Amino acid sequence: MKIMKVKGNHVILSLVCLVLGFIMAFSYHLTQLETQQAKPDMTDSQYKETLSLRNELIAQEETNRKLQKELNQKQAKVQKNEKELAKEAADFNSLAKDAEKYRMFLGKVKVKGKGVKITLADGAYDPNQDNVNNYLVHEHHVFKVVNELYISGASAVSINGQRLTSRSYIVCNGPVITVDGVPHPAPFVISAIGDPDVLASSINLSGGVKDQLVNDNIVFALEKVNEIVMNPVLGN
Amino acid sequence: MWLPVIGLMVGIVLGLLTEIRIPEEYSNYLSIAVLAAFDTLFGGIRAYLQNIYDEKVFVSGFFFNIILAASLAFLGVHLGVDLYLAAIFAFGVRLFQNIAVIRRILLAKWSTNKEKLEKS
Repeated sequence: MKIMKVKGNHVILSLVCLVLGFIMAFSYHLTQLETQQAKPDMTDSQYKETLSLRNELIAQEETNRKLQKELNQKQAKVQKNEKELAKEAADFNSLAKDAEKYRMFLGKVKVKGKGVKITLADGAYDPNQDNVNNYLVHEHHVFKVVNELYISGASAVSINGQRLTSRSYIVCNGPVITVDGVPHPAPFVISAIGDPDVLASSINLSGGVKDQLVNDNIVFALEKVNEIVMNPVLGN
Repeated sequence: MWLPVIGLMVGIVLGLLTEIRIPEEYSNYLSIAVLAAFDTLFGGIRAYLQNIYDEKVFVSGFFFNIILAASLAFLGVHLGVDLYLAAIFAFGVRLFQNIAVIRRILLAKWSTNKEKLEKS
């Protein structure tokens, strides 16, 4: 009887203990979970370290951003410079072409092309004419032809193989004509590079240069040539 | 004799193993229930040491206190009064008083035992 009572006591007591233990453990467990959720296992020093690392990261990112901006700016600059360089190169190229062209006009380089060849020769001796000058080729005849050729668009002109430049001078010097100080006897062969048809038709114009020359008893011959080669002016 | 201890162990294990999650706002009730359980437990121990232990009073007090504390907190939440503070206060004070009484009784017993030993 006594044992039974004691046992009954113990059963009730153990039930109470079970409930107590359950409540305690449950509460403990719950609190643990909550604290874990609230801040996952972080001590003060760890937190400080994390904070400083984060700050460092932010600073790094800011620096990166700044550097990226700088890089972009520099790249834009480089592109601009490259464009300028390309433009300059193009300019130089066109300048070089121009220079080449001007050299041709100045007679500094050898040129070749289609053109015409005009031969002026003294007229045959005529006993009826008492003045011999009436059938000789004078420097103004040569002038006329050369000017007409230039006006008609000739790129280069030469007399007896000597190139004319912008500073050339033609002087009548007794029996010969002096071109830039070099004497040339008759007959004179004037070569011009340019469109042969244009040059020929402009020379052959009725009442033009040819007719005037023929009126002055000069033997005039014009031929179109497919290729004329002119050597550069000697000396400079 | 070992049955209550085994019961405690089983209770702790059960409590640790349960994955039931109660909402945040009910955790107050749980803490008050824990406090009430402690209070009743120490009250029972004190009563036992004072030889006025009554099992019915203890068991009914244990469960009734837990339920009362929880319902008081519940009422407090719904009335907008922090009644669970009152429960915590009351249980806390009684807890300390009980522990103090237990300590005194134990001390008195220990000293009388010592005197007895010296006399004999």
